[in-house]
Amino acid sequence: MKITEIYIYLMYLIVIFCIISFISKEQYIIASLLFLGNVLPGYAMATSMMEKNED
Amino acid sequence: MINEHIYRRFNHTVAACFVIYFLFPEYILGIQREYYILIFWIIIVTVEYLRLKQDLKILGMRDYENNRIAGFVWFATGTCLILGLYELDIFPQSLAIATIIMAAFTDPLIGEANKKFGELWGAGLGLVCSFLIYQLIIGVLFYAIIGSIIAIISERPKIKWFDDDLAMQIIPIIVLTILSLMEFSPDLPQEILGGKL
Repeated sequence: MKITEIYIYLMYLIVIFCIISFISKEQYIIASLLFLGNVLPGYAMATSMMEKNED
Repeated sequence: MINEHIYRRFNHTVAACFVIYFLFPEYILGIQREYYILIFWIIIVTVEYLRLKQDLKILGMRDYENNRIAGFVWFATGTCLILGLYELDIFPQSLAIATIIMAAFTDPLIGEANKKFGELWGAGLGLVCSFLIYQLIIGVLFYAIIGSIIAIISERPKIKWFDDDLAMQIIPIIVLTILSLMEFSPDLPQEILGGKL
Protein backbone atom coordinates (compact mmCIF):
# COMPACT_ATOMS: atom_id res chain seq x y z
CA MET A 1 0.00 0.00 0.00
CA LYS A 2 2.90 2.32 0.73
CA ILE A 3 4.13 1.83 -2.84
CA THR A 4 0.69 2.76 -4.17
CA GLU A 5 0.71 5.96 -2.12
CA ILE A 6 4.15 6.89 -3.44
CA TYR A 7 2.90 6.15 -6.96
CA ILE A 8 -0.10 8.44 -6.42
CA TYR A 9 2.14 11.29 -5.21
CA LEU A 10 4.33 10.65 -8.24
CA MET A 11 1.29 11.05 -10.50
CA TYR A 12 0.55 14.47 -8.95
CA LEU A 13 4.17 15.49 -9.54
CA ILE A 14 4.02 14.30 -13.16
CA VAL A 15 0.85 16.30 -13.82
CA ILE A 16 2.31 19.45 -12.23
CA PHE A 17 5.61 19.01 -14.07
CA CYS A 18 3.84 18.55 -17.43
CA ILE A 19 1.59 21.57 -16.92
CA ILE A 20 4.57 23.78 -16.02
CA SER A 21 6.56 22.41 -18.99
CA PHE A 22 3.80 23.25 -21.47
CA ILE A 23 3.30 26.71 -19.93
CA SER A 24 7.03 27.35 -20.27
CA LYS A 25 6.74 26.48 -23.97
CA GLU A 26 3.74 28.86 -24.24
CA GLN A 27 1.44 25.94 -25.04
CA TYR A 28 -1.36 27.29 -22.87
CA ILE A 29 -4.15 25.23 -24.45
CA ILE A 30 -2.41 21.90 -23.80
CA ALA A 31 -1.42 23.02 -20.29
CA SER A 32 -5.02 24.08 -19.55
CA LEU A 33 -6.39 20.79 -20.86
CA LEU A 34 -3.98 18.81 -18.68
CA PHE A 35 -5.03 20.89 -15.69
CA LEU A 36 -8.79 20.71 -16.36
CA GLY A 37 -8.77 17.01 -17.13
CA ASN A 38 -6.86 16.08 -14.00
CA VAL A 39 -8.24 18.53 -11.47
CA LEU A 40 -11.45 16.63 -10.69
CA PRO A 41 -10.04 13.10 -10.44
CA GLY A 42 -6.99 14.52 -8.64
CA TYR A 43 -9.19 16.28 -6.11
CA ALA A 44 -11.32 13.16 -5.61
CA MET A 45 -8.16 11.09 -5.16
CA ALA A 46 -6.79 13.53 -2.56
CA THR A 47 -10.12 13.54 -0.68
CA SER A 48 -10.22 9.76 -0.70
CA MET A 49 -6.66 9.57 0.63
CA MET A 50 -7.39 12.10 3.39
CA GLU A 51 -10.45 10.11 4.45
CA LYS A 52 -8.31 6.96 4.51
CA ASN A 53 -5.71 8.70 6.70
CA GLU A 54 -8.42 9.92 9.13
CA ASP A 55 -9.68 6.33 9.49
CA MET B 1 -8.27 1.46 1.74
CA ILE B 2 -7.71 3.71 -1.25
CA ASN B 3 -10.84 4.14 -3.35
CA GLU B 4 -9.98 1.91 -6.31
CA HIS B 5 -12.58 3.44 -8.60
CA ILE B 6 -11.19 6.96 -8.16
CA TYR B 7 -7.66 5.60 -8.39
CA ARG B 8 -8.49 3.99 -11.74
CA ARG B 9 -10.02 7.21 -13.09
CA PHE B 10 -7.06 9.30 -11.93
CA ASN B 11 -4.63 6.87 -13.57
CA HIS B 12 -6.57 7.24 -16.80
CA THR B 13 -6.58 11.05 -16.86
CA VAL B 14 -2.90 11.27 -15.87
CA ALA B 15 -2.16 9.27 -19.03
CA ALA B 16 -2.76 12.51 -20.97
CA CYS B 17 0.67 13.54 -19.70
CA PHE B 18 2.21 11.16 -22.24
CA VAL B 19 2.18 14.18 -24.57
CA ILE B 20 5.19 15.50 -22.64
CA TYR B 21 7.10 13.18 -24.99
CA PHE B 22 6.84 15.87 -27.67
CA LEU B 23 8.89 18.23 -25.49
CA PHE B 24 11.69 15.71 -25.04
CA PRO B 25 14.97 16.36 -26.86
CA GLU B 26 15.80 14.07 -29.77
CA TYR B 27 18.51 12.33 -27.72
CA ILE B 28 18.25 11.48 -24.02
CA LEU B 29 21.45 10.20 -22.38
CA GLY B 30 22.83 9.60 -25.84
CA ILE B 31 19.93 7.37 -26.89
CA GLN B 32 17.35 8.38 -29.48
CA ARG B 33 14.10 9.21 -27.76
CA GLU B 34 12.04 6.70 -29.78
CA TYR B 35 13.88 3.84 -28.07
CA TYR B 36 12.41 5.01 -24.78
CA ILE B 37 8.93 4.30 -26.20
CA LEU B 38 9.96 0.70 -26.77
CA ILE B 39 11.59 0.40 -23.32
CA PHE B 40 8.48 1.84 -21.68
CA TRP B 41 6.21 -0.57 -23.56
CA ILE B 42 8.39 -3.57 -22.64
CA ILE B 43 8.21 -2.54 -18.95
CA ILE B 44 4.41 -2.31 -19.15
CA VAL B 45 4.12 -5.73 -20.84
CA THR B 46 6.50 -7.25 -18.26
CA VAL B 47 4.39 -5.90 -15.38
CA GLU B 48 1.28 -7.29 -17.05
CA TYR B 49 2.97 -10.67 -17.56
CA LEU B 50 3.89 -10.78 -13.87
CA ARG B 51 0.34 -9.83 -12.92
CA LEU B 52 -1.26 -12.53 -15.04
CA LYS B 53 1.28 -15.34 -14.61
CA GLN B 54 2.96 -14.67 -11.26
CA ASP B 55 -0.09 -13.25 -9.48
CA LEU B 56 1.45 -9.81 -8.96
CA LYS B 57 -1.07 -7.66 -7.09
CA ILE B 58 -1.84 -4.30 -8.67
CA LEU B 59 -4.37 -1.89 -7.18
CA GLY B 60 -7.26 -0.72 -9.34
CA MET B 61 -7.80 -3.83 -11.46
CA ARG B 62 -11.36 -4.77 -12.36
CA ASP B 63 -12.62 -8.28 -11.56
CA TYR B 64 -12.95 -9.22 -15.23
CA GLU B 65 -9.31 -8.22 -15.78
CA ASN B 66 -8.08 -11.12 -13.64
CA ASN B 67 -7.76 -13.37 -16.68
CA ARG B 68 -7.33 -10.88 -19.49
CA ILE B 69 -5.08 -8.04 -20.53
CA ALA B 70 -5.74 -4.98 -18.38
CA GLY B 71 -6.85 -1.58 -19.62
CA PHE B 72 -3.56 0.15 -18.78
CA VAL B 73 -1.70 -2.18 -21.17
CA TRP B 74 -4.14 -1.43 -23.98
CA PHE B 75 -3.88 2.31 -23.36
CA ALA B 76 -0.07 2.26 -23.17
CA THR B 77 0.06 0.14 -26.34
CA GLY B 78 -2.13 2.65 -28.18
CA THR B 79 -0.06 5.59 -27.03
CA CYS B 80 3.27 3.88 -27.81
CA LEU B 81 1.95 3.00 -31.29
CA ILE B 82 0.92 6.61 -31.89
CA LEU B 83 4.28 7.96 -30.70
CA GLY B 84 6.19 5.35 -32.69
CA LEU B 85 4.24 6.02 -35.88
CA TYR B 86 4.68 9.76 -35.34
CA GLU B 87 8.45 9.19 -35.26
CA LEU B 88 8.11 7.30 -38.54
CA ASP B 89 6.35 10.38 -39.98
CA ILE B 90 3.09 8.46 -40.45
CA PHE B 91 0.92 10.34 -37.96
CA PRO B 92 1.04 14.15 -37.76
CA GLN B 93 2.05 15.59 -34.40
CA SER B 94 -1.16 17.62 -34.05
CA LEU B 95 -3.33 14.50 -34.36
CA ALA B 96 -1.08 12.51 -32.03
CA ILE B 97 -1.31 15.12 -29.26
CA ALA B 98 -5.05 15.66 -29.67
CA THR B 99 -5.85 11.94 -29.80
CA ILE B 100 -3.81 10.98 -26.73
CA ILE B 101 -5.37 13.74 -24.62
CA MET B 102 -8.84 13.01 -26.02
CA ALA B 103 -8.64 9.29 -25.20
CA ALA B 104 -7.25 9.92 -21.71
CA PHE B 105 -10.11 12.25 -20.74
CA THR B 106 -13.08 11.08 -22.79
CA ASP B 107 -13.11 7.40 -21.83
CA PRO B 108 -13.39 7.98 -18.03
CA LEU B 109 -15.93 10.77 -18.64
CA ILE B 110 -18.12 8.37 -20.66
CA GLY B 111 -17.77 5.75 -17.92
CA GLU B 112 -18.84 8.17 -15.19
CA ALA B 113 -21.68 9.66 -17.26
CA ASN B 114 -22.96 6.19 -18.22
CA LYS B 115 -23.12 5.26 -14.56
CA LYS B 116 -24.76 8.47 -13.33
CA PHE B 117 -27.04 9.57 -16.20
CA GLY B 118 -27.33 6.61 -18.58
CA GLU B 119 -25.66 5.59 -21.83
CA LEU B 120 -27.22 8.29 -24.01
CA TRP B 121 -25.79 11.02 -21.80
CA GLY B 122 -22.52 9.13 -21.68
CA ALA B 123 -22.22 9.15 -25.45
CA GLY B 124 -23.40 12.79 -25.66
CA LEU B 125 -20.98 14.12 -23.06
CA GLY B 126 -18.18 12.03 -24.55
CA LEU B 127 -18.91 13.52 -27.95
CA VAL B 128 -18.80 17.08 -26.58
CA CYS B 129 -15.59 16.39 -24.65
CA SER B 130 -13.74 14.81 -27.57
CA PHE B 131 -14.98 17.49 -29.97
CA LEU B 132 -13.74 20.28 -27.69
CA ILE B 133 -10.32 18.67 -27.25
CA TYR B 134 -9.87 18.12 -31.00
CA GLN B 135 -11.10 21.61 -31.81
CA LEU B 136 -8.93 23.32 -29.19
CA ILE B 137 -5.77 21.50 -30.26
CA ILE B 138 -6.18 21.12 -34.01
CA GLY B 139 -8.46 24.10 -34.60
CA VAL B 140 -10.14 22.70 -37.72
CA LEU B 141 -13.86 22.01 -37.38
CA PHE B 142 -13.82 19.27 -40.04
CA TYR B 143 -11.35 17.11 -38.12
CA ALA B 144 -12.90 17.91 -34.74
CA ILE B 145 -16.36 16.74 -35.84
CA ILE B 146 -15.20 13.58 -37.58
CA GLY B 147 -12.61 12.73 -34.92
CA SER B 148 -15.08 13.02 -32.07
CA ILE B 149 -17.73 10.91 -33.83
CA ILE B 150 -15.19 8.19 -34.68
CA ALA B 151 -13.87 8.23 -31.10
CA ILE B 152 -17.33 7.68 -29.61
CA ILE B 153 -18.16 4.92 -32.09
CA SER B 154 -14.81 3.24 -31.31
CA GLU B 155 -15.59 3.25 -27.61
CA ARG B 156 -18.86 1.35 -27.95
CA PRO B 157 -18.04 -2.26 -28.84
CA LYS B 158 -16.77 -4.35 -25.92
CA ILE B 159 -14.33 -6.79 -27.51
CA LYS B 160 -12.07 -8.89 -25.32
CA TRP B 161 -9.05 -8.71 -27.61
CA PHE B 162 -9.42 -5.12 -28.79
CA ASP B 163 -10.10 -2.91 -25.80
CA ASP B 164 -11.69 0.52 -26.13
CA ASP B 165 -8.57 2.09 -24.56
CA LEU B 166 -6.67 1.07 -27.69
CA ALA B 167 -9.54 1.53 -30.16
CA MET B 168 -10.27 5.10 -29.01
CA GLN B 169 -6.73 6.12 -29.90
CA ILE B 170 -5.88 4.09 -32.97
CA ILE B 171 -9.12 4.23 -34.98
CA PRO B 172 -9.69 8.02 -34.85
CA ILE B 173 -6.05 8.86 -35.63
CA ILE B 174 -5.93 6.44 -38.58
CA VAL B 175 -9.18 7.80 -40.02
CA LEU B 176 -8.15 11.44 -39.53
CA THR B 177 -4.67 10.84 -41.00
CA ILE B 178 -6.18 9.20 -44.10
CA LEU B 179 -8.71 12.03 -44.40
CA SER B 180 -5.98 14.65 -44.12
CA LEU B 181 -4.33 13.13 -47.21
CA MET B 182 -7.51 13.48 -49.29
CA GLU B 183 -7.73 16.37 -51.70
CA PHE B 184 -11.12 17.55 -50.48
CA SER B 185 -10.00 17.82 -46.85
CA PRO B 186 -9.02 21.13 -45.26
CA ASP B 187 -5.37 21.70 -44.36
CA LEU B 188 -4.29 20.03 -41.15
CA PRO B 189 -1.70 21.78 -38.96
CA GLN B 190 1.06 19.15 -38.86
CA GLU B 191 3.24 20.38 -35.99
CA ILE B 192 1.98 22.19 -32.91
CA LEU B 193 5.13 22.13 -30.83
CA GLY B 194 7.54 23.27 -33.52
CA GLY B 195 8.59 19.88 -34.80
CA LYS B 196 11.20 17.60 -33.31
CA LEU B 197 13.02 19.62 -30.66
